[in-house]
Amino acid sequence: MTYVLRIVATAYLFFLVAWPVSLVVTHTFDDGFASISSLLQDPDTVVALQLSAYVAVFSVVINTLFGVGISMLLVRQEFPGKRVLNAMLDIPLSVSPIVVGLALVLVYGGRNGWLGPTLAGWGFDVIFSTPGIIMATTFVALPLMIREIVPVLEEIGIEQEQAAQSLGANAMQRFWRITLPSIKWGIVYGVVLTLARSLGEFGAVKVVSGNVLGQTRTATLVVEEKYLNFDQQGAYATAFLLAMVSVACIVIVAIIRPKNHS
Amino acid sequence: MSIEVSGLNKKFGDFVALDNVDVTIPTGQLTALLGPSGGGKSTLLRIIAGLEKGDSGTVNIEGVDATNLPAQKRNVGFVFQHYAVFKHMTVAKNVAFGLEIRKRPKDEIEHRVNELLKLVHLSQFSHRLPSQLSGGQRQRMALARALAVEPKVLLLDEPFGALDAKVRKELRDWLRRLHDDVHVTTVFVTHDQEEALEVADEIVVVNEGRVEQVGTPDQLYDEPANDFVMSFLGEVTHLGGASLRPHDIELETAPRMAGAVEGTIARMVRIGFEVRLTVLTVDGDEVSVVATRTHARSQRLEEGSTVWLTPADGATMVPRMAVAG
Repeated sequence: MTYVLRIVATAYLFFLVAWPVSLVVTHTFDDGFASISSLLQDPDTVVALQLSAYVAVFSVVINTLFGVGISMLLVRQEFPGKRVLNAMLDIPLSVSPIVVGLALVLVYGGRNGWLGPTLAGWGFDVIFSTPGIIMATTFVALPLMIREIVPVLEEIGIEQEQAAQSLGANAMQRFWRITLPSIKWGIVYGVVLTLARSLGEFGAVKVVSGNVLGQTRTATLVVEEKYLNFDQQGAYATAFLLAMVSVACIVIVAIIRPKNHS
Repeated sequence: MSIEVSGLNKKFGDFVALDNVDVTIPTGQLTALLGPSGGGKSTLLRIIAGLEKGDSGTVNIEGVDATNLPAQKRNVGFVFQHYAVFKHMTVAKNVAFGLEIRKRPKDEIEHRVNELLKLVHLSQFSHRLPSQLSGGQRQRMALARALAVEPKVLLLDEPFGALDAKVRKELRDWLRRLHDDVHVTTVFVTHDQEEALEVADEIVVVNEGRVEQVGTPDQLYDEPANDFVMSFLGEVTHLGGASLRPHDIELETAPRMAGAVEGTIARMVRIGFEVRLTVLTVDGDEVSVVATRTHARSQRLEEGSTVWLTPADGATMVPRMAVAG
């Protein structure tokens, strides 16, 4: 029975994940490193890759700060509307990224948005500009950090913090010396997932970015563009680079994470 | 007086955890808060530590009104039932925590940590992580950590409750000896009467949010204020409207004493040197009696024998409660 289950699981993962992804790799290296090096010589693609990295880093930083704060709030405090907040945090996972993009345009759109014209009046463009891309990416990746930290916080409980308090530690000292080290690995995993999700975001970014070549076109948009223009080689090479970053993150974390972590 | 609590009330929703509690805990003594689970003793301890806030009433620690002082400013040591070790720090770092918070010089911290680890017999484990220690070792480490900051009072919440019976007994003796050396005012919560009677200088019996009695172990055992205290501190049976200990009943095969109650032996169990009997009296009571094996044999007691029961001379007796607990 266990053998049957193992074969089914392996076959399922092979046909769904391993085989398609490995084909991306093999296609990328059909003619050696030529496709990658030609990619890196195209200034527009380099700008796109840089923009993707820049947006992903911002999204990770914002989601980490807010993720830790919201998780502490959800686990440690009782307040009216807590269940509503908890349910709202899953919205980014349950609605299509396209919807996220359109919703952001409704609020921040430079001409017709609720808030957009005011911000534009101050010389701050959100939609069709980098802030919009960052917002859309942060939105879709929002729950990942929180869903990693909340179970860890629930598991460690509050006794360690109370012990620290009775030993004279104030709220800041308790957070830096006790809480943060205890949830460290939850945060690390959250960062990896958020980074991978942010690099790969496509739908929401496509709506809000305007897809301006060399300015607001991210790496995932480049993949689409190249694919539609029958530059399959370039599309695969870009996709490969994106996938590699995510895989590298997960591998590194798996290596440095202590084995007897409890 | 070291800790003075007066007029303390605490409710959790509809549940009354503490009902107008007044208690004074003497300086330098080892005091036990004894009572059944859910009786409010842990809540009382946590309010003294500042980890919980009373609804009304005051807490005074060594002459300072601590009622509104946050826990970190009370300078009390607190030891938790489940140790609350800092999992990501070594044993030495755990013990050093309070001193580092107080920004003491490095060499002083090191010296004090070594001293404390020696006191709790953990010197050779100083570089280990808590996960590599046994339960008893973790609790000793937690105790050293609490003592490191030289607290005015040391509070222990069921400190041995999570340990197995043997380690529990060892640590109990060790705590008593440690207290004789260190002399810090210590309060510990327990639901185990044996633990309280054996270790404490003074016992505060807490039940249903109220203090039932305060006294030395001898006072409590010999002069219980009421049926609850008596029944909580040891086995109790009822004979003719009074509560008393089963071993304080004399048993005879003929009605020699005035006021003796007649009954028949319904069950007889021998455990080592003692014999436990259940006697059904003519009044309809079921009385437990403990006799020595020798006594039972000399009287030729067996199930179905008719016997006469009287309270022994000097027996501790209190009037029976309306509803026997």
